[in-house]
Amino acid sequence: MVCAVVSARVSPIFIEKINVVRIVPHVAEAVDLNTVADLTVRACMCLPGIVVAESGDFYNQEIWRVKCILGRDFKYPETLAERTAIELAHHISLAGRRLIIDPRER
Amino acid sequence: MNDDKTAVLLLRENPSKSPDPYKMAELRGLANAAGYRVLAEIHQRRDLDHRFQIGKGKIAEAMSHSPKKLIFYNALSPGQVFNIQSEFSAQILDRFNLILEIFATRAATREAKLQVELATLSYDAPQVRNALALQKTGEQPGFCGAGAYDQSMYHDIRKRMAKIRTELKDVEMMGEDRRQRRREMGFDLVALAGYTNAGKSTLLNSLTGSVVTAKDQPFTTLSPTTRALEIKGHKILLTDTVGFIDDLPHFLIKAFQSTLSEIAHADLVLLVADMKDSPEILRRKLLASHKALWDCGVTAPMITILNKVDGIDETEAAAKMEGIEDLAPNPVLASASSGQGLEELQERIYEQLQPLQEYQIRMPYTPESLSELSRLYETAELLQVSYGEELVIRLRGKKEAMAKIQGASLSEMSTE
Repeated sequence: MVCAVVSARVSPIFIEKINVVRIVPHVAEAVDLNTVADLTVRACMCLPGIVVAESGDFYNQEIWRVKCILGRDFKYPETLAERTAIELAHHISLAGRRLIIDPRER
Repeated sequence: MNDDKTAVLLLRENPSKSPDPYKMAELRGLANAAGYRVLAEIHQRRDLDHRFQIGKGKIAEAMSHSPKKLIFYNALSPGQVFNIQSEFSAQILDRFNLILEIFATRAATREAKLQVELATLSYDAPQVRNALALQKTGEQPGFCGAGAYDQSMYHDIRKRMAKIRTELKDVEMMGEDRRQRRREMGFDLVALAGYTNAGKSTLLNSLTGSVVTAKDQPFTTLSPTTRALEIKGHKILLTDTVGFIDDLPHFLIKAFQSTLSEIAHADLVLLVADMKDSPEILRRKLLASHKALWDCGVTAPMITILNKVDGIDETEAAAKMEGIEDLAPNPVLASASSGQGLEELQERIYEQLQPLQEYQIRMPYTPESLSELSRLYETAELLQVSYGEELVIRLRGKKEAMAKIQGASLSEMSTE
C-alpha cells in the first residue's frame, strides 16, 4: 500500500499553499487500525499542524480515540479546503501506487 | 396544525457518545413543519436493537399515547419497519420520510414534484424489495407464493425512477442552457446556499426588493427562485435554493441534483448562517453546509453571510465569529429583516465577482452590426460609440457576452 501525505496551509474554501508532499510505501500481510496508524505516524513525522483524514481511513473511530492512538492532534475533514486536500492526497497515493507497483501485477 | 396529525418522537442515542439535545429539537421542528402535534418525546441511550431500532418497551410506551404516527430520528431498516408494524400495528416514519413528507407538501413546480417523487421512490425501492423477500420466506413453488403483481412492483418502481431521471436530466440540461444564455446576456450568477431556515429567502427579498415566500419554518423554498439585482453596473442574477440539513441521505442529494446544480455552477456562492443559533449549533450547521457544498461540487468563491445579527449584541457576535472563523470564508454580519449590513454585503459581492473587462469592437455598417449594437446596449456597459468609417464601440462587459459577437464573425475584436 501507499500512504500519501499533503502538508498544506488552507483557508476555509481553498488550499493556499502546499508545503510538503510525501509518499510512503508499505507492505503488510493485512491492513488493520494499528497498521494504518503506524503508517500515518511515520508519514506525518516532523510535519507541523493537525492531521486530517477521512473517517473511513480510521475505521470511523471517534476523534478522541484516534488522537490517543496517533499521539497528536487529529480531526476529520470539515471545510471544503480540507476535503480538497484529502482528495489530493488520495490521487497522489493512487498514482504513486500505480507507478511503483510491479508491472506484472497491473 | 392539524389535530388529527399526532405523533410521538423517538430517539435512540449511542451510549458511547455524549447526549445531543439538538437532535430531538431538530426532529420536533421538522414534525411541527410537517403539521404534526407532538404528544411525547422519548429518548433512549442504548446500543442498536436490530429488531426494533429502539427498545421494545419504549415503543410500547410511545403507543400508550395513542398517536397517529411514531416518528424515529434514527434511520429504520426495511426489516425494522416490518417488525414494528407487525408487532405494534403502528404507522411509522423516520427522519428521512418526514423530510420527504414536508417536501411533498411544499413542492409546487413540476421539477420539484419529480424530484420529491424520485427521492421517495429511491427510499421505497429497497423497502419494497425487502418486503417482497419477507413475503416470499418459506414460499414453495406453486403454493402461496407472491403473485406476479407483487413481483413486478419493484421493477415498476425502478422503471418509474429511470423515467423521472431522464426527465430531470432534461431539466438540468435546460438549466445549463439557461445559465449560459444568462451569462451571454451579461449577468453574473450568484447563488444563496445554507442550512434550512437560515433566512435565504428573506435575504433575497431584501437585496432585490422582491416578495418571494419567506417563512420561519424549514424547507419553505424547494425550487430555485431567481431575481435580478444590479451592483455598481454589475448585472447579477441572485438565485435562492433549497436549504441543507444535517445527515442528508445521498439519494436525496442525487434527487435534487438539478436544483443543486444552480449552486454548483454559480459564479459566487453566498453561504447564509443563522447567528441566533448557539455557537455549537452554528458550527454544526456550517459543517453540514460545507459537506453539502462539497457533495454539490462547488468551486466558486464564497461569502459567508452571518444573518439575523439584529437580535444579538456586538460582543456575542464577535465571540461567535471567532468560533467559526475556519468555516466562514469572507464573513459579513447582516440582518435581512432590518437591512443591517446589506450595503457592506453588496460591496463584498462586487469585490468577489470577476471585474468586467473593457473591449473595443470594430464593425462595418451593416444591418446585422446595428442589431448587434442594439443587443450590446442590453448586455454590456457601453463606454463610447464612434460612428466613423466604421462602427467603433468601446465597452465593458462579460467574456461570454463578447464570445457571441466573435461567433457571428462580424468584425475583428480586440481587448484593451
